[in-house]
Amino acid sequence: MTTTGNTFTGDGRRTGAPVVSFENVSKSYGDVRAVADLDLQLYPGETVALLGPNGAGKSSTLDLLLGLRNPDAGRVELFGTTPQQAIARGKVGAMLQTGGLMEDVKVRQLVRLACDLHPQAHPVEQVMEHAGITEIADRMVNKLSGGQEQRVRFAMATAGASDLIVLDEPTTGMDVTSRQAFWSVMREQARQGRAVLFATHYLEEADAIADRVVVLHRGRVLADGSAAEIKAKAGARRIVFDLEGHISEATLRELPFLSSLEISGRTVRIQSHDADATVHAVYGLGLFPRNLEVAGLGLEQAFIAITDAATAEEAAA
Amino acid sequence: MNTLIKLEISRTLRNKKFMFFSVIYPAGLYLLIAGGASSTEVVGDSKLTLPLLMMVSMASFGAITAVLVGNSEKIAKEREKGWVRQLRLTALPGRGYVLAKIASAAVVSLPSIVFVFVIAAAVKDVRMEAAWQWFALTGAIWAGSIVFAALGVAVGYLATGDAVRPITMIIYFGLSMLGGLWMPTATFPQWLQDIAEWMPTHAYAALGQAIELGGAPHLKDVAILVGYLALFTGAATWLYRKDTHKA
Repeated sequence: MTTTGNTFTGDGRRTGAPVVSFENVSKSYGDVRAVADLDLQLYPGETVALLGPNGAGKSSTLDLLLGLRNPDAGRVELFGTTPQQAIARGKVGAMLQTGGLMEDVKVRQLVRLACDLHPQAHPVEQVMEHAGITEIADRMVNKLSGGQEQRVRFAMATAGASDLIVLDEPTTGMDVTSRQAFWSVMREQARQGRAVLFATHYLEEADAIADRVVVLHRGRVLADGSAAEIKAKAGARRIVFDLEGHISEATLRELPFLSSLEISGRTVRIQSHDADATVHAVYGLGLFPRNLEVAGLGLEQAFIAITDAATAEEAAA
Repeated sequence: MNTLIKLEISRTLRNKKFMFFSVIYPAGLYLLIAGGASSTEVVGDSKLTLPLLMMVSMASFGAITAVLVGNSEKIAKEREKGWVRQLRLTALPGRGYVLAKIASAAVVSLPSIVFVFVIAAAVKDVRMEAAWQWFALTGAIWAGSIVFAALGVAVGYLATGDAVRPITMIIYFGLSMLGGLWMPTATFPQWLQDIAEWMPTHAYAALGQAIELGGAPHLKDVAILVGYLALFTGAATWLYRKDTHKA
């Protein structure tokens, strides 16, 4: 079930040297392997979503990428150098959940500081406008709401022309309007040839925004491709119908192309790699399904299917 | 980096409680200890009167308050809040943060030194033979406070959250008392005097006392301070790196 970055067949924008390169990177904390032999390359212009259940190694991966921790084994490179050097050259703009803000200063002072520290800084007013914090520029940082703080962090991450933008759960705490504004700014950044990497647990964001989705599970890459490819991989379609009379689970299990089966009361829920063939076989069994629905899986269901399957495989092994 | 230093200085100046504590408190303590003391009687074998002796002690004490207590708590708190982590994601060199903290502390330590001098001169009529001694004294105490600024940074990276205040206070009061900043070491029993002699605070105050006597600081005291500076800077650097790996 494991694939590498090489299988990605996006829109062919992958050109030039990788922006980010993980080579056989491992990191453990005590007995816990947070990142295990991770291989991952990101290229200019890509918008990549990093998905994974809690404890999948997303935060550890971002920490390693940003040089906040060093790997036990393997190599992490940004723009062909160490993460620290890349950051010192202003190549990276990053926004972490765990990143705090300086207190007792005004928003504008903090953004000015970020601009001052960036070797290719944008004008302060422009940065604040893009982050939607112009109206709160004169507020004290410690008086902000969660969503406002998040936008100030975003302003700090985009204070200059960085070639890679790393965002950890960037829209947490933002309302729907700020979230939309946020992503429209991000899309613009990607259009200018920047690579954008974001970790999120809003799967609809990954579906709508990323042109590449990387699913992590127990520190490994479980799936890597476009959102459509990830969905296809999970068992593409969902079939739901009701049955009357006796329902034999054993019989239903024999249906072709089944990837999961769930019976609750009269309702049968199936995930299938080939919905047409499965539905055909249902009729072939002499059953008469009522209220039949066939629908594509959302990325969220695909994600759950993929990670559940991996957990089951590991349990069986 | 200049923006960061400016910002740190303006934040420190805005912190009224801290300014009060480090500027007023040493001068107040000076009046308490030396207020009723004789201006002619020499303390032990120091060749200095109590008002002169305590002027240097309290100026040193004030400078230590500003650089040690201020830095350690601020750094520990900002590490905990993740601000240090956020700064690591900028192009700021690693030493930049520490330099800005030391610079902003130095801005507070200077008025606390000068204020003790003003009170001593005005209330206790403290005079020195030459005007240059006042400037040399200010310069020596201000420069010497770097040693304790480095200690403050080290403690800030060593301790977190609730632990930082008690740890800082134990070090701060322990060093001040043992080094003879609150009472002349001449009043200590011999065994304690032998320990006190090697305290950074003792060497620090001795710099000022030598200048008050019209001489240059003793080589031994300068060497002790340089030794402690190397130790504290080394510890701060090591703790900072360690923190980088698990930030």
